[in-house]
Amino acid sequence: MSTNKEQRHTILVADDSDMNRTILRSMLEESYDIIEAEDGLQAVAILQQKDQEISLVLLDIVMPNMDGFDVLSAMNQYNWIDTVPVIMISAESTHSFIERAYDMGVTDYISRPFDMMVVRRRVINTIMLYAKQRRLAAMVNEQIYQREKINNLMISILSHIVEFRNEESGLHVLHIQTMTEILLKSLMRKTDKYQLDRETINLIGNASTLHDVGKIGIPTEVLNKPGKFTPEEFAIMKEHSRMGAEMMRGVPFQDEPLVKYAYEICHWHHERYDGRGYPDGLVGEEIPISAQVVALADVYDALTSERVYKPAHSHEKALAMILNGECGAFQPLLLECLVESSDMIQKEMAVDTVLRGEQRIMENTATEVLQNEELITADRTLRVLELERNKLRFFSSLSQDILFEYTRTPSMLTLYPRGVQRLGLERDTVDPYHNKRVLELMSVDQMTELAQRLQETSPEEPSVEYYFDSHIDGAPARFQIICQSVWSPDEPPQYTGVIGKMVECKGEEETH
Amino acid sequence: MTIQECYAALEGDYEEVLNRLYSEALVRKFLLKFLSDPSFQLLETSMQTGQHEEAFRAAHTLKGVSQNLSFTKLYHSSHQITEALRTKDYDLAGQLLPQVEADYAQTAAAIRAFQGE
Repeated sequence: MSTNKEQRHTILVADDSDMNRTILRSMLEESYDIIEAEDGLQAVAILQQKDQEISLVLLDIVMPNMDGFDVLSAMNQYNWIDTVPVIMISAESTHSFIERAYDMGVTDYISRPFDMMVVRRRVINTIMLYAKQRRLAAMVNEQIYQREKINNLMISILSHIVEFRNEESGLHVLHIQTMTEILLKSLMRKTDKYQLDRETINLIGNASTLHDVGKIGIPTEVLNKPGKFTPEEFAIMKEHSRMGAEMMRGVPFQDEPLVKYAYEICHWHHERYDGRGYPDGLVGEEIPISAQVVALADVYDALTSERVYKPAHSHEKALAMILNGECGAFQPLLLECLVESSDMIQKEMAVDTVLRGEQRIMENTATEVLQNEELITADRTLRVLELERNKLRFFSSLSQDILFEYTRTPSMLTLYPRGVQRLGLERDTVDPYHNKRVLELMSVDQMTELAQRLQETSPEEPSVEYYFDSHIDGAPARFQIICQSVWSPDEPPQYTGVIGKMVECKGEEETH
Repeated sequence: MTIQECYAALEGDYEEVLNRLYSEALVRKFLLKFLSDPSFQLLETSMQTGQHEEAFRAAHTLKGVSQNLSFTKLYHSSHQITEALRTKDYDLAGQLLPQVEADYAQTAAAIRAFQGE
């Protein structure tokens, strides 16, 4: 989206004077698409929706509602300033004003009176500079993305070969990988004993797909025998962990952390925390954490999958059996992680695994990209966002409820199509507290009460349920709002907005 | 009345504005649009009702617009009242207002005369 050479650039002109906007529009509209904002609040609202489409902001300083400096603050807060260049346009020629504007990240400064040639030159110079930077960022990202994609593809091919021979579906390895990562993330939040970070978790997740690679050394008659093993056959079968470990010892990349984790996992994913596993009978923390986690994931997936000799158990049944100690022995902390991640596991296992694979690549790339500040809003992150937006759009189109979002700075209410239709409001309402049509739906007192309840929430307990009486289509109606506060990733977290849904209460049953 | 005569009547600098905007058509367009710019009226009413911040913004806008159109005389008086309002010297601003009103009236009359032809 940012590399299209034929693209006409869009410029946001934020100035409270219609005359000034018209003058700038006349100077620029031949070569650019122009969006106008009448004050700072509108400018920020427009940026909120289309910061990716806007190539340049021409910003006045003295404006009502939010002035130019307030807009710059918001642009810094949301990191837009990194990718959207700003040129100040102002009759202000006070030195301290200009200096402050530069300090807040403006690229250039055009003073009044406007000179057409100067305006056009500064605009094109600034846009070209940023466009070049964006193209470079996009190229680097594309390469990171490709690399990550090929890595995952190779690992996936390899593990499918193993599964193919086992006459199992390729889903097993993907499930193990998903679950390993969920459990490790949960563990990371609980303890720093294992020095887990995102990169390590990613590596162990990848390595987990190789856990049964040793099975390619097991004769087919034994491997795929229907029914119970004889003790001799079981002894042969058990050899797969040692064989897998040997294979991993034999590959030439011994310094690679991936190989180290793959070795641990192949070797010890059938050990038990109580020391009664195989092949070495390791006890407790002698078993590397990578192998402990994969062992648990393996057992869970075996229980919840259908096998020749047994039907698939439900998630609840599998959990109960594991916690009961019927299927191995695990570290108590890890079992805690299992219980706490129960919902997540159930949800993730149900997701189409191909989609998940793709999403995983994006998440990992996005993480890598995020580590490099320069590339912060580049393509990869956008793809992830785009995917999320599509999902949300899809789910909201299925829902009969009125879904909404609210951001606090700038104060803006956004409705999904269903709500726009049902409530007769705009998709976006800037400053809803003072909007006539919003106030017809919800009184100031009701809004204040709801805002008060939201103020009292915390990141741990963000949910609020609120009932209120109103009118719709000229008839009295009672509504329920179920919403939660949204918090920034800062330390301490800041309350930044609200997401939620509004439901019409039918009949008289709601009396509280 | 020609556009040059109009600029002479409102005591502006036509050469200067033409140099910046490059086309007579554009200058003419903005000149006519100036009559519908609300900042002068906003300045007057907010001065009357004592809404100083609003008055400052209106004066500031009027100054910017006059500057862009090279209305030298109106720019000069609107600049002075803007600075008085910025430094919160409201007595001074009150004293300066009649000059702004006179200059605005002169400017608007010249444009109307030009428009009338």
